Amino acid sequence: MSLIDRLRLSAHLDEAALVSLWTDTALGTGPAAHPHLERCTPCRNRFAELSSWLDTVRADAVAEADEHFPAERLAAQSAQIFRRLEATERPARVIAFPTFTQPLPSRSSHASRWIAASLAAGLILGVGFGQFLDLRHSLAPRPAATAARLTSDAPPVQSAGSPFQKPDGREDLFLRELDASISRAPAELRALDAFTPRAGDPGK
Amino acid sequence: MTGAQAAGLHGREADSAAASAVKAMQADGRHADARERYAELVGRHQRRASRIAFHYLRDGAEADEAVQDAFIKAYQHLASFREELPFEVWFTRILINGCLDRIKARTRREKWVAPMPDGPTGERDFGERVAGVGPSPEDQLLARERRQKLARALSRLPERQRSVFMLSHYEGCTSREVSALTGLNESTVRVHLFRAIRKLRTLLGEDGAAETNVEKRRVTH
Repeated sequence: MSLIDRLRLSAHLDEAALVSLWTDTALGTGPAAHPHLERCTPCRNRFAELSSWLDTVRADAVAEADEHFPAERLAAQSAQIFRRLEATERPARVIAFPTFTQPLPSRSSHASRWIAASLAAGLILGVGFGQFLDLRHSLAPRPAATAARLTSDAPPVQSAGSPFQKPDGREDLFLRELDASISRAPAELRALDAFTPRAGDPGK
Repeated sequence: MTGAQAAGLHGREADSAAASAVKAMQADGRHADARERYAELVGRHQRRASRIAFHYLRDGAEADEAVQDAFIKAYQHLASFREELPFEVWFTRILINGCLDRIKARTRREKWVAPMPDGPTGERDFGERVAGVGPSPEDQLLARERRQKLARALSRLPERQRSVFMLSHYEGCTSREVSALTGLNESTVRVHLFRAIRKLRTLLGEDGAAETNVEKRRVTH
């Protein structure tokens, strides 16, 4: 054994070396024992402490998981797995449309059918008659005055009683009195009066 | 060969035989027989699967659902299972992928929804409180605190380190198995495990140191 090897073996193992050694042992990728550990009690103790810590970690983790999965829960889980498997393998069920074993008794009688038919016929006849009257009315000859108004360009003839009829004598007197009363009105209102159309004014 | 290894080897052979039988029954259309035979595989891997799912998800109900989904998915895709890989490894890969998908979905959900606060004792549901018959309340409290610290420290590990640590240390998988499960190189698995332990020691040491400082302050004040 060389001097360097002796020095290496005599030096204490650091944390990384201990973890590396433990990793090799756990994975089965390295030697089961280290020569230094066989001689050095402190390092052996530290390695044992590391192994013990890791064992505690594993025991805690396993215990915690097992607490969540007691035997009853595992049994229920297994049952659920097989229920689901059975459901996935079962062919899809086709639900038939509900059919009646015997025909439903008809509640409608012959009389009600006749009533419905006569109502429908009446409606159709009514609509047809209405359309016929409307058509006749539109085809009938128009009155002469309306026809003349429609055909000539002359202004419409004012019929008797029109609002634009010329005032008679009494009304003329009334309007003159009205004008006289306005002429007595204050000067401020006269300008306004000039703008206001008069009933007797032609063409306004 | 140790007893555990021999049992593991025997278990793997049994798994392989059961998986092949289920596959053949499925092909023949004997679904009821296939399910009956598959129950053997479920029974053998259910507890381990529940542990792994719980370690990933940290929630009993969600882990339960993840395990159910993984077993159903494995059954439905058993035709694609190749015997060169142990059933355990193939199934665990399905389970871990499912758990990682759930974690991603949860992260997305938690961006929008405020999580429900846990009860004063840490349970989400009154039904989860089981009458204690073993350790004293003080021991239970200490153990719970220790587990919470460990869970916090584990959650601060990068995902690959956490996976490697949980699979190799909690589940006792060899580097080859972890490699097959995670798709990492065997030497990378070793490096991840080494780093995970170092970081956990540091994180738990920090937690311990922080608590000691708080205790000291309490005593001096």
